[in-house]
Amino acid sequence: MLGFGVLKGLAVTIKHFVETYIDDLKYFPHRYSEEAMESRQSVNGRGIFTVQYPEQELTHPETFRYIPFLVFDEDEDSVYEGIRCTSCGICAKVCPPQCIWIVRTKDADGRPIPQPAEFYIDIDVCMNCGYCAEFCPFDAIIMDHDWKLVDYDRFDGHIHDMERLLKPASYYQQIRPIQYAENNLDEDEDKDGH
Amino acid sequence: MTVEVSSKSEATTIPEELQRNVLITGVDSVYNWGRMYSIWPMVFGLACCAIEFIVAGTARYDMARFGAELARASPRQADLMVVSGTVTKKMVPQIVRLHNQMAEPKYVFAMGACATGGGPFKEGYNVVSGIDKYLPVDVYIPGCPPTPQAFLQGLIKLQEKIKGQSVTQVPWYRKDQLNEAIPIPVLGPDIFDPRQVETIKEELVKQRAQETQAETAVEEAKEAKATEAKPKKKGIAKALKVPQWDITPTEEAQTLADRIHQALGEGAVTLEKDTLVVDPARLIQVGEYLRDAEDLAYDLLSNVTGVDYLGRDPRFEVVYHLYSTSRGGGPLVLKARAPVGDPQVPSLTSVWPSADLQEREVWDLYGIRFPGHPNLKRILLWEGFHGHPMRKDYQEAYYEEPVKPFNSRWPGGHHELAESKNPYFKNVVYPTEWDLDAWTPVEEILAVVDAKDLPRTGMRTEKIVVNMGPQHPSTHGVFRMVVTLDGETVVDLEPVVGYLHRNHEKIGERNGWLMNMPYTDRLDYLNSMGNLGYALAVEKLLDVEIPERAEYLRVIMAEFNRVLSHMMMVGFLLNELGAAFTPLFYAVKERELILDLFEEASGSRMMCNYMRFGGVAHDVSQDWLDRARYLARERLPRKLDELEQLLSDNEILIARTKGVGVVPPDVAVAYGITGPLLRAVGVPYDIRRVEPYGIYDRFDFQVPLLYNGDLYDRYLIRILEAREALKILDQALDQIPEGPIFGGKRAWQLRVPAGDVYGRIEHPKGELGYYLVSNGAGNPWRYRVRSPSFINLTALAEMCKGHKVADIITILGAIDIVLGEVDR
Repeated sequence: MLGFGVLKGLAVTIKHFVETYIDDLKYFPHRYSEEAMESRQSVNGRGIFTVQYPEQELTHPETFRYIPFLVFDEDEDSVYEGIRCTSCGICAKVCPPQCIWIVRTKDADGRPIPQPAEFYIDIDVCMNCGYCAEFCPFDAIIMDHDWKLVDYDRFDGHIHDMERLLKPASYYQQIRPIQYAENNLDEDEDKDGH
Repeated sequence: MTVEVSSKSEATTIPEELQRNVLITGVDSVYNWGRMYSIWPMVFGLACCAIEFIVAGTARYDMARFGAELARASPRQADLMVVSGTVTKKMVPQIVRLHNQMAEPKYVFAMGACATGGGPFKEGYNVVSGIDKYLPVDVYIPGCPPTPQAFLQGLIKLQEKIKGQSVTQVPWYRKDQLNEAIPIPVLGPDIFDPRQVETIKEELVKQRAQETQAETAVEEAKEAKATEAKPKKKGIAKALKVPQWDITPTEEAQTLADRIHQALGEGAVTLEKDTLVVDPARLIQVGEYLRDAEDLAYDLLSNVTGVDYLGRDPRFEVVYHLYSTSRGGGPLVLKARAPVGDPQVPSLTSVWPSADLQEREVWDLYGIRFPGHPNLKRILLWEGFHGHPMRKDYQEAYYEEPVKPFNSRWPGGHHELAESKNPYFKNVVYPTEWDLDAWTPVEEILAVVDAKDLPRTGMRTEKIVVNMGPQHPSTHGVFRMVVTLDGETVVDLEPVVGYLHRNHEKIGERNGWLMNMPYTDRLDYLNSMGNLGYALAVEKLLDVEIPERAEYLRVIMAEFNRVLSHMMMVGFLLNELGAAFTPLFYAVKERELILDLFEEASGSRMMCNYMRFGGVAHDVSQDWLDRARYLARERLPRKLDELEQLLSDNEILIARTKGVGVVPPDVAVAYGITGPLLRAVGVPYDIRRVEPYGIYDRFDFQVPLLYNGDLYDRYLIRILEAREALKILDQALDQIPEGPIFGGKRAWQLRVPAGDVYGRIEHPKGELGYYLVSNGAGNPWRYRVRSPSFINLTALAEMCKGHKVADIITILGAIDIVLGEVDR
């Protein structure tokens, strides 16, 4: 029958329309509770699954990567001493678009010291690929979760320098607990062993 | 979250006497409230970021909550231009023109690293270092790509900005501050901005003076032969090693060569390993023989590309990869060589029409001419562009060194913007001899066919040429078609591409082997898990063992990607038919759930960067597998049923698609069409079957075939293939073993043994191949992407001729192109 195919299709849209409200009713009156949110976003979710950004936010998994940052250990005397980076340069060399610039520190005689004197990441070039973090032997550069970087001007904030890049190890632990545990507990054991 | 109101906002600049004016503030708050919640974006997207922009409008992120869902196709009705993705030089004039057409108040977003400041493609010869070099930008959204939520954050930021404006201060009501139209950049030897004419003239004079100085110095040094050796500004720093490898002929190739010699006479071909090096003068003969001999039947010319062996004689090489759709199996490789000077190789378009666009590309990028080609002109760049950029001695404006890593980054890596080193502060370079006063831009010649080709309709109509694109809501990005119409009937069509040509291959030759992996994500940005082909090609040269679990993970990711891609294709196709957004939104919802899996496994929704040489980047958890199983076994089959119920019997869909865009099987093969399109005309050619890679030989699945070859079959075959993909997923998720995910040592620096190799996979869009040449160093000598989207376009004109103009868009939609892959 002509028109039956269209009607069949419309039945699908009506089903979707009804389904939209199932979760709403299920969690009534706490439609936007955390529990409701989780269920909507899961693979079993059926109803409307809009995230009410900015009131709510879609959480990202631990592996999520945005712009990299540098880790410093807080138990050292100063931030500078806590910097894990040894300025070995692997991240700068493996970076596909070459957006990392590092100046190695030198002592009075001109011999290199394993500390970065300057460290820049140009976030207008960075492609968020995560190689710097993947190949860093010291767990010193980590892909951040912070994607809220929107601004009105690109010339005063898009070249991230050391000051902007350094974040404490506790932050690292907070955003990537599993990776932190894997990489840092081993190190602690090593320290005990020596 | 909190967003600070910018201190620069115009509210703070209200004059004294008005500040206490309650009326004005009252009017302002109403005026701004109205504008804040009715920002209409223009339907306009450039590259990968545009997908995230589109997705921001779908169910999960729902731009409509901000009153910004009313995307307008016309710039005259839009308030917001979202420059989403890589801005190429070829596209800039269009973008500026669109911006000029927008009425005030108008706002511009620079979305993503590329639009903001050049991004990962910044060094490319056809890429602009940020749209703010040409347009005033209101909000920058960094990220590669920014997540849809980041886009929404940008929208909120814009609302904050609007909130800070006052009706008494805004320029669009003030006669003295009326915005002048921005001068439209012109495509010359390189793009040039009319505002810079004086600077360019001055710089060219300086350049000329320097060059004459250098030349006289050279001439004084060696008097005899002066003219040939022009001193270069920047020499090639590290000497490049010309690739060489063992070329002992294989037995199989020897037999074939003997046969060819018997048939065509001695000297037609010589052998190098398994490759036939053909005498250019007899190339067409050899081609015809290989195609027509019954037991050879090489009917599919899959890949044509050039290679520049700088430092060898003959310097240029054109490489052809041939397949037989009836016999299956690996490629037959032909090579034809041409010396420097005026390199020429006869065109093979008469033997295999699929060479058409690809030969044009070789001409464009390498400057190798193809006598006999019906329409040999530039394709990715524009007529009048100076130089052939893929040549090894071509140096773009931001050229630093022949290979990465660059020495300037470490250990003395003081940050410096590339544009600050350029005299024009832009990614441009002009030839010294360019005389700006005497120069006029090359007019694009439109192909108008002769009247005798017209079918007689009884009605006398005049032919008109219509440009569709590069900015068109339904061209899947920045794609242009020059259509010759007789009334509403298509007489001829010429695809014009290159508006997203991001110099992928040039950058790829500078990159290390591993560095190219994230770049391949940005080719087909809807299917970044499908780029397994690159890993496979490099692994062929490396000879590494891939652990079982990694093999399974690769299949799982690739097949999820196939489902995702096919569902999205159906969604977009229906959009193009006018069933705006319902099917697309349903498809995007499932895509989001698959992307959640990808994000958890790889770290990024779209740019997964998941494949590695010897395995995959990260392992997945048990929970991940459980969710994947639920998706593959329960949810996605249900959703495919639903999609079919929604569409397959729909009378309107049937009326619009049955019998439209048909090409016969032999023509389809001749035009090099691969993938679902080819299977929709009944050619059983699926690389997973005819030349299995990875562990595809272990799975039980079918290759769906349909025989009409019209749009309806192209729609249906996607659904059928998605079902088969789910079948593979079901088995793979069942059989996946525990174990390591990486074979060998994870090395960031990789040397690949010398040789050339072609690796290909059955990508959701067709045959995705990578032709690589290694000289044994840390980066590829040649890195060529055989992209299905691009080559499938060769037959677009054939498919469209005789149909109505409204069908063009649907025919294009059914080919399912992604511009990142078309233009590379």
